[in-house]
Amino acid sequence: MRVPTVAVLMDLPPDHPYHRATLAALDHAASGSPVRSVVVPTDSIGGRTARSLGEAVVVGPGSPYVDADAVLEVIASAREQGVPLVGT
Amino acid sequence: MLVEHARNLAGIRDASHAEYGGGGTPVITALACSLQGREIIVELAAGSRLAAMYGAERVIERTTCDYGLAPDAQHLAGEFGLRVAAIDDTKEVRAVERLDHPFFMGTLYQPQLRSAPGQPHPVFVGLLKAAHALR
Repeated sequence: MRVPTVAVLMDLPPDHPYHRATLAALDHAASGSPVRSVVVPTDSIGGRTARSLGEAVVVGPGSPYVDADAVLEVIASAREQGVPLVGT
Repeated sequence: MLVEHARNLAGIRDASHAEYGGGGTPVITALACSLQGREIIVELAAGSRLAAMYGAERVIERTTCDYGLAPDAQHLAGEFGLRVAAIDDTKEVRAVERLDHPFFMGTLYQPQLRSAPGQPHPVFVGLLKAAHALR
């Protein structure tokens, strides 16, 4: 069974409390149904759509984003492609 | 999320977020009173998906927000397929969700800050349930 990927758009460094809290929240919620969480810094989105990033998207804390336009494009594609998304 | 909504669905092509400076029509602006590091009371909208996920009518959440939907843009949260899913005790919009989508939600608070092992946050549980359904 393939494990779904959750793309976390976030520029905060790995040792930032909100970076850690976001990944931990996904771990807590995944109990029994594993997911693969992948942090995607906004300047590495590179024109990818939500669907190509994974089965779900978290628009993480820590704005302003390095590449806000790329974040908006992912949000638009998630809306259009029916990809689950939460923005916090 | 609200800037994307304003630009692409509400037709406000220059909708902007005050945090980024510059011009345009600001739909996200600095709050009159910063909520940075505060706990807020969140009133969940009856009949919303968010309320169903929580199984509650009002909850306490933590927030790091200094910004919110501009006072004269609050109506955008209830237009073009979006609806208000929660307000705070000052009646400001605190969460929105789409009606025509498997799971499309925005919170102007940080649910991840209230998650704990064995006590996952309903918003993240809902997101992963939708992700598994899409797989």
